[in-house]
Amino acid sequence: MSETRRALEQQFDRILSEYGAAISRLAFSYEAVASVREELVQEIALAIWQALAHFRGECSERTFVYRIAHNRGLSHVWRRRPPHQPLEEIEESDQPVDPRPHPEEQAARTGQRVRLMSAIQSLPVTHRQMIVLMLEGLSHAEMAEVMGITENNVAVRLNRARKTLKDALGERP
Amino acid sequence: MIEDRELDTWRKQWSSVAEPPAEFQRKVQQRIKREDRRFVLGNLLTVIAFLGILIFALFVRHQSNLMGTGWATGICVLAFVSAGYRVWGLRGTWRPQTQSTRAFVELWHKRVAARIRLLRISIYVSLGWIIFCAALTAANWTTIGQGVKAHPKDWVEVLVACVLMQPVIWCWAAWLRRRKLAELNEVKKILDEMDGKSVP
Repeated sequence: MSETRRALEQQFDRILSEYGAAISRLAFSYEAVASVREELVQEIALAIWQALAHFRGECSERTFVYRIAHNRGLSHVWRRRPPHQPLEEIEESDQPVDPRPHPEEQAARTGQRVRLMSAIQSLPVTHRQMIVLMLEGLSHAEMAEVMGITENNVAVRLNRARKTLKDALGERP
Repeated sequence: MIEDRELDTWRKQWSSVAEPPAEFQRKVQQRIKREDRRFVLGNLLTVIAFLGILIFALFVRHQSNLMGTGWATGICVLAFVSAGYRVWGLRGTWRPQTQSTRAFVELWHKRVAARIRLLRISIYVSLGWIIFCAALTAANWTTIGQGVKAHPKDWVEVLVACVLMQPVIWCWAAWLRRRKLAELNEVKKILDEMDGKSVP
């Protein structure tokens, strides 16, 4: 195996360790069914691997990963319509186990989480992307790089997206 | 301040949403190996197909009759022109995944539009191919006519197969075109959303 390939594999493994959880969360915003989502996560990872050899540092690694992940997500939305799954259909196995001892508190937290996810999945794709990037903690500059818009535009769209999310959460029980 | 608290709450809920699937890295590695094998196999098959066409063309040309040379040349020209046009049609739209979302969607739009054009042209090409075959047959009717008289059943079977193949190809192309048009509409919708035209 060549040195270049080995270096790429190491870089790829590091990216997966560092961004694996973020990619899974992002995939959650595009796909509610666990088995299909797992497939989507693998597709995103594969796309990152295929693009990694051509990555010359034109943008930050974080931006690179989020760009690929969102673009794969968009293609997925087209291939698998309708993308949105009603709240009650989100699989029980999707809920991570909460170690807290109080079942009522745990149920309330799970309910809030499911509500948030369902609301995000119901948003138009561009709003969904803004919200996901915001929740992942990207700066306005990074969001602008991922989306291909100006920073001023990011601020305007983010406000709109947050309002839409609040409305969507308000409509949900 | 309320806004920030709201964001913090959302972030807390969001960060506990999902962990990577079990054995994530191992599964990805397996998938990469599978894709690598598929890539090598795909390239190998393409090379074999093109070499096959060339060998077939040389073989038929060796038979040294006008009909055989015409067929061989026609098939070679068709194969190379189709492959060349496909590459030309999709130029400038490679590796869209690493682009920003805006650029990705614009490239997606370009690719789908190019595929629709390609499908439209393939219909014309298939019509052209029929005309070419008919002209070739007419030009060589003195040779072919003897074969038709000797084995009429075989020739009728070939003719029926050719006639039935065309509607099948056209229906498939029409179905694919409808699908691509739907995809184009979807991409336009996303572009409109990005321009703030259709978002509430």
